[in-house]
Amino acid sequence: MGMTAIEVSKSLPVWAAYRAGEGLFDEMLDLAKRSNSRSSPITEALLSMPPEALADLCARAEAMFRRMGVTFNVYGSEDGTERIFPFDPIPRVIDAETWAMLEAGLIQRVRVLNAFLADVYGEGCIFKDGVVPRDLILGCPQFRRAAAGIRPPLGNYVTVGGIDLVRGPDGRFHVLEDNVRTPSGVSYVLENRVVMTRLVPDLIRACRVRSIERYPTDLLQCLCEIAPGGKSHPTVALLTPGPYNSAFFEHVFLSQQMGVELVEGRDLVCMDLKLYMKTVHGLRQVDVVYRRVDDDFLDPMVFRSDSQLGVPGLAAVLRAGNAAIANAIGTGVADDKAVYAYTPAMIRYYFGEEPIIPIVETYLLRDRDARETVLKDLDRYVVKPTGASGGYGVVIGPHASERELEETRLQIMRDPAAFIAQPVVSLSVHPTVVNARAETAPFLAPRHIDLRPFVLLGAKPRVLPGGLTRVALREGSLIVNSSQGGGSKDTWVLEA
Amino acid sequence: MLKRIADHLFWTARNLERAEWRARLVEVNYQLLIETPPRDLQPWEPLLAIFGEREEFSERYASADEASVLNYFTLDADNPNSIRNCINVARSNARALRNQLSSELWLGLNTLYLAAQEWTPEVFKWPGVFAYFAELKDSFYQLAGIRRGTMPRDLAYDFMELGSMLERAEDVARMLDVKYHFLLPRLEDVGGAIDLLQWAAVLRSASGLEAYRKRYGGAIRVDNVVDILLFDPTFPRSAVYSVGRLRAFIDRIAADSPEASAAAAAAGKLLAEINASKPAEIIHDGLHQFLLHVQDSCAEISELVFEEYLKAA
Repeated sequence: MGMTAIEVSKSLPVWAAYRAGEGLFDEMLDLAKRSNSRSSPITEALLSMPPEALADLCARAEAMFRRMGVTFNVYGSEDGTERIFPFDPIPRVIDAETWAMLEAGLIQRVRVLNAFLADVYGEGCIFKDGVVPRDLILGCPQFRRAAAGIRPPLGNYVTVGGIDLVRGPDGRFHVLEDNVRTPSGVSYVLENRVVMTRLVPDLIRACRVRSIERYPTDLLQCLCEIAPGGKSHPTVALLTPGPYNSAFFEHVFLSQQMGVELVEGRDLVCMDLKLYMKTVHGLRQVDVVYRRVDDDFLDPMVFRSDSQLGVPGLAAVLRAGNAAIANAIGTGVADDKAVYAYTPAMIRYYFGEEPIIPIVETYLLRDRDARETVLKDLDRYVVKPTGASGGYGVVIGPHASERELEETRLQIMRDPAAFIAQPVVSLSVHPTVVNARAETAPFLAPRHIDLRPFVLLGAKPRVLPGGLTRVALREGSLIVNSSQGGGSKDTWVLEA
Repeated sequence: MLKRIADHLFWTARNLERAEWRARLVEVNYQLLIETPPRDLQPWEPLLAIFGEREEFSERYASADEASVLNYFTLDADNPNSIRNCINVARSNARALRNQLSSELWLGLNTLYLAAQEWTPEVFKWPGVFAYFAELKDSFYQLAGIRRGTMPRDLAYDFMELGSMLERAEDVARMLDVKYHFLLPRLEDVGGAIDLLQWAAVLRSASGLEAYRKRYGGAIRVDNVVDILLFDPTFPRSAVYSVGRLRAFIDRIAADSPEASAAAAAAGKLLAEINASKPAEIIHDGLHQFLLHVQDSCAEISELVFEEYLKAA
């Protein structure tokens, strides 16, 4: 499109110079097209700003994030490991009707993943009935044999789920991937809103944006609801790997918002099949752990014996039913990218329903036919390792070099079950501020976005209205992960 | 309250108090040198000696000139107790316990931390040494005010106050020592104009000059200065006030413990010793010895607090 070539006059509103990408679904233009009375204030207030006002907005937002210390850590970067998650002040808007559909679809999805986990670590009916091949699960690196004897309270394996959604060129939402291990990002959602509320208070009021403030209360409520034996005032603690973890800010933020203790493995101890934390006045029993530590590091007696982050004996405490953990051990099998391909079948199998939100067409490369199809046109597919998350190891065919494609081909042939392939989804785009910090005037350009809503499962499901809109700040880039140079926007779900 | 968290709270507050007193001490020395032209070739040496950091300093600096000493005490990344490092340590401790601090306190601390990262030796030229320290003291007052205005009076608050008061008792003793032991002018100057100017500077840097005037009137006398800085229970930076608060906070913390607290006993002993002393007596018997005893007792209390409440193992 050559957006940079457009001359931006100082007096011209940023919106006037905006050109949507060809063949891409532009969410703001779509909303304007279907314009109801309440999306127009956004166009008027934000998009009709002169470039200098937009630059000012960006600068104020950045100063606020820096002052609030809203940062994430980047692994393997030497220069001061704390970074600000880049923020774009143009909000992404979702109308009430679309959200109602998404909410139902998200609840359906998290419930089915939960049902699947209960089945995998329970009777295994779905294998016996031939809906999901048993060897796919047993061979999955995220399958945890140790989880088989643990019966989580309420049967809840998943307490917090983050479901990544994308919109293709037709504007339809699809599930891109599920995150039911330790999904992160919700602190940015809440802090983005705090900043936007200060930047454009009138606009948020005029648009009647749904509040997201309840999330920490809802999370705590769900955690209390899964306390063993239905204890009425359980002691909840958030288990963090510590200040060097990339999501440490979020761990601190959530424990603060919920008013629960933030603990590291070394603060906890197991005795007589009960879990305790070491307080200044001795040991105090812990009933529910919201853990942000991966399975592998949770309990050196069961998983990796070199882990310093976990608590020796934790798995035994859980098995004895004297504590609950969220999410449960072994949930990783449900967000495996090969298992993902079976989720529509699971929804039909467990609930007799059709999926409300479709998935992206997925080729399991362990199948010979699928593999041949994909390897023939590798440059047309996205290849993903089945077990990884956070965008690590993803190869995007059309953007990959000959050498990368060749390496990927070799890796697939060496271990086909470790990969899936999907056609490239041309993610929807959204007006985004470009050049916010440069000397030249900033302008708006379309950038690819996705959405990670957060679903809570306690005695009943609760969904945060909206979620984390991530934006690929580099022109043309499809990778929105924070670890790979993505940024975020505030997500506005409008009141019905 | 987790032991690890209590430890972080204690050190956050203690490092802030330490940074504040370092600022006060450097400022008072600077002021003394302006008001009384140095006879000494190394007028900044006493300050280094007070902190027992002469050797560490000389490892990295050729001479104890003003620029080097200012840099060492404020900006030096290799000096663990430089003001900037104290702020950095306080902030990194606080980062691990943001769930225990009010968000206002975190914001204030993070703002100071971000400002401290921008400091260069240029700040001593512009806005100049006085302005720099004045601004810094304002930041510390602000943080103390936010803490008292926003934190619930629970264990988190108690451990922070404990850290602050322990450091304060130790540092006020140290500051008095700077003047009395090391800046003692020649015998013929005692009670002279220069001597009085120096005592006024000491009071001012403890924010005590006005309190002094209110209580004793205009004339500055050594025994009265010692009285207000060590024995005045109404003056918030005196040794007796700090140790009294310190003991109250240990008592509150210990109240929920089944066993008797050795730290509380040690704090009670120090408080009794201070209460039993009189300015004239300790000046006669050796003020330096008394001040050293206060500092050593604080170190002992700190060690007992660590053993009883903070050590995680």
